[in-house]
Amino acid sequence: MTADAATPTALDGITVLDLTAHIAGPYATKLLADLGARVIKVERPGGDPIRGFGPWLGDEPGIERSGSHQFLNTNKESIVLDLKSTGGREVLDRLLPRADVVVTSYPPAVAERLGLTPDAIREAAGVNVLSLTNFGWNGPYRDYALSETVLYAMGGEMYSHGSIGREPLKMGGTASLVQCGAMAAIGALGAVYTTEVHGITQRVDVSLFDVQLNSVDRRSSAIMAYRFSGRVNSPPVVAGPSTGAGVVGVFPCADGYVEMTASAGPYWHRFAEMIDRPDFKEPKWSDPAWVRSPEAREEVDVALYPWLAERTRAEVWEAAREAHAILAPLFTATDLFEDPVFRERGLWTEVEHETLGKFPMLGRPYALSETPWAIRRAAPLLGQDTDAILDEAGYDAAGIAELRRTEAVA
Amino acid sequence: MSSYLPLEGVRVCDFACVWAGQTATMYLADLGADCIKVENPYVWNPATRAAAPVLPAAAAAMIPPWMGGHPNGDPGPRPWNNSPAFIHVIRNKRSFTVDSRRPEGLAVVKSLIAISDVIAENLARGTLEKLGLDDDAIRAARPDIVILHLPAYGRTGAYVEGRGYGAHIDGVAGSTILRGYRDSAPETNVQTFAGDFFVGMHGGLAMLAALRHRRRTGRGQTIELAQAECSASMFPQAALDAAWNGRASGSIGNRSTEGFAPNGVFAARGEDRWLALSCRSDGEWRALVDFLGRPAWATAPGLETAEGRRAAQDAIEGELAAFVAARDRDELFRDLQAAGVTAGPVLSAKDVTEDAHASQSPAFHRLEATEDYPATEFPAPSFTFSRSDVTLRTPPALLGEHNDYVYRELLGVSAEEFARLEADGHISTTYADEILGR
Repeated sequence: MTADAATPTALDGITVLDLTAHIAGPYATKLLADLGARVIKVERPGGDPIRGFGPWLGDEPGIERSGSHQFLNTNKESIVLDLKSTGGREVLDRLLPRADVVVTSYPPAVAERLGLTPDAIREAAGVNVLSLTNFGWNGPYRDYALSETVLYAMGGEMYSHGSIGREPLKMGGTASLVQCGAMAAIGALGAVYTTEVHGITQRVDVSLFDVQLNSVDRRSSAIMAYRFSGRVNSPPVVAGPSTGAGVVGVFPCADGYVEMTASAGPYWHRFAEMIDRPDFKEPKWSDPAWVRSPEAREEVDVALYPWLAERTRAEVWEAAREAHAILAPLFTATDLFEDPVFRERGLWTEVEHETLGKFPMLGRPYALSETPWAIRRAAPLLGQDTDAILDEAGYDAAGIAELRRTEAVA
Repeated sequence: MSSYLPLEGVRVCDFACVWAGQTATMYLADLGADCIKVENPYVWNPATRAAAPVLPAAAAAMIPPWMGGHPNGDPGPRPWNNSPAFIHVIRNKRSFTVDSRRPEGLAVVKSLIAISDVIAENLARGTLEKLGLDDDAIRAARPDIVILHLPAYGRTGAYVEGRGYGAHIDGVAGSTILRGYRDSAPETNVQTFAGDFFVGMHGGLAMLAALRHRRRTGRGQTIELAQAECSASMFPQAALDAAWNGRASGSIGNRSTEGFAPNGVFAARGEDRWLALSCRSDGEWRALVDFLGRPAWATAPGLETAEGRRAAQDAIEGELAAFVAARDRDELFRDLQAAGVTAGPVLSAKDVTEDAHASQSPAFHRLEATEDYPATEFPAPSFTFSRSDVTLRTPPALLGEHNDYVYRELLGVSAEEFARLEADGHISTTYADEILGR
């Protein structure tokens, strides 16, 4: 999706100084950038380490060819600063007060060493600061490290995700980190709005651990349930789909799998319609004793499994949609990329990159009618905007040359 | 005002249900919006206030804890006011009841819309239209309103009639296929609702964006957030590997999408004690090798690089499994972290309540007992603001708890009319007899 300069953006006029790296912080600022905020990404010499993660465009590694970088840093500007150098630090000090919100993801000990804790930044520049940390700024785990997997293990509801007796499972990809980025974006906008509405600035703290503890993906509920009832959310006792007391779970069909929920009541009736078995709507199928019996289960199995085996996911889903049955296919990313319906709707977009040419990119997570989400610019080349940003900050050509010579900037 | 709420003065007419919708509006409520949940005593919205309107203790016990774990195992006469799955997403909101299917009820809803800044919904497709509340009707009541729709697969295209909850939408978004064991088919995958969490946050964010545009220009707009499309952004690596390289990623168990090796979850001493561990760099691997006492298997040539370790993952995981199995989970966690290795316990819900760090986290906030639930810790907003009062300000709204506020204060309904609406069943703090099977 492209947008011309005349199209208004929702976050027009907001400047974000982005000191974050890797996934969670950059996803937060990407969300803001894609809605129209100006995001200045400050990269360390050599670049945000995310540039070292794939997938690679055409399977060819390179710091500009990283899919993780290309996705997470759309619509941003890049300046490379060595914050350990005097010159680099001086540049940062000039940039800080120009931001509406500064976003950091330094671990507390690093922030303290750099003199870039939220309070230090606020004292120096009086701006909003949003800090993303693993475990917050206090407490016994303050300085502990996290990966996507360890974050989901400790914060999220990994404990009940998997088969009983086997090791609990993480989510796909780096989902737990991406999720935290979305929460941080809400916090950042909250701070900016408070400035716009009330004229004050403040610090906002987001801990990845806290975000996952309150994940509505069964975690907040599981904790609430334990506090309420003493019951601990655990993996299901029987692994796999169930056809007793309702048809629930993942089932195979001709070319893959579908996820289905046909529990008692209207959903069961829709299921009966979907597989064209009107007799399943007879009263005995509302009788809990019958539906739990091995005989009932067998009747369902001999009807359902062959019906599914003769149909592709597309055919099953079409029948489900007709009957309003609660069912969906399991798509791979390739399915999503090739799906004509999602393509037509705009799930995918194309990015025009300065050196790499055109390539496909995941499109809008939401469609806003008046202020459309848009990729106005591909993720920046490393240090692509260094000179322009320095110029704006009042450095003349000689000053910039000196900063470059001392490797304070790149 | 000293509370400095970012959304002070913003009113939300909240038709949201289940998790994705109810959390989207919850984030606005957290930031200070006056979020008013529109509820109908004659309609039971599935998976919105509880598993069922009538829920004997024996039935609740058959439902998994996250949905069935009501206070003391007994939902009591009002399961809708104490569901572990839903009560906490109604925090900082208000609730009022109205039968919007009847003309006088619809008039009430329209008068609320007329004084609202946002309307949010994720009801089954066509529900609002059937009530006579399509976008045009909403805009007729409030021309500059922000409208949020959260359809499963979009309001256009061949999938419009697709029905599903989070688990099904996760299937289409590509989440489900990515999160199984490496050695088993997706049939054993457990339902998760990662998309609900993700979509809720994005719904909140989209409304925030639209509200800023409105504050600056006076113009409202319509937001369409197709849940499956939004959820696809949780898996950019898989998406771009498909788009760029034609590769369909599958389940890699607990191995790392980022190529970290080792990366896994291992059984520690005792029952159901698991430790997750990642070596995110060669330096972390060296720290782990030192921690292990530099055994021969770990110092073998080739393992210094992630690439080398990835090639030997099966063997490394086997050795680590044996090491972890003989040790205490929590001790090992702290010792590994102190040694510079990224590791952590797989915390059960019970573990969280006993965890030294989680117990003092601002993520929880103690609430007083009500008739429907005991005093306990509730989830609070996951961000802390140093100056704005962004926290759990008001407890979860019980059904119809704010009927007085909405009808009398906001809508200026007379005492006489209030009494009539109450007699006609619009105003209630319980569900109608037909819903309760009486």
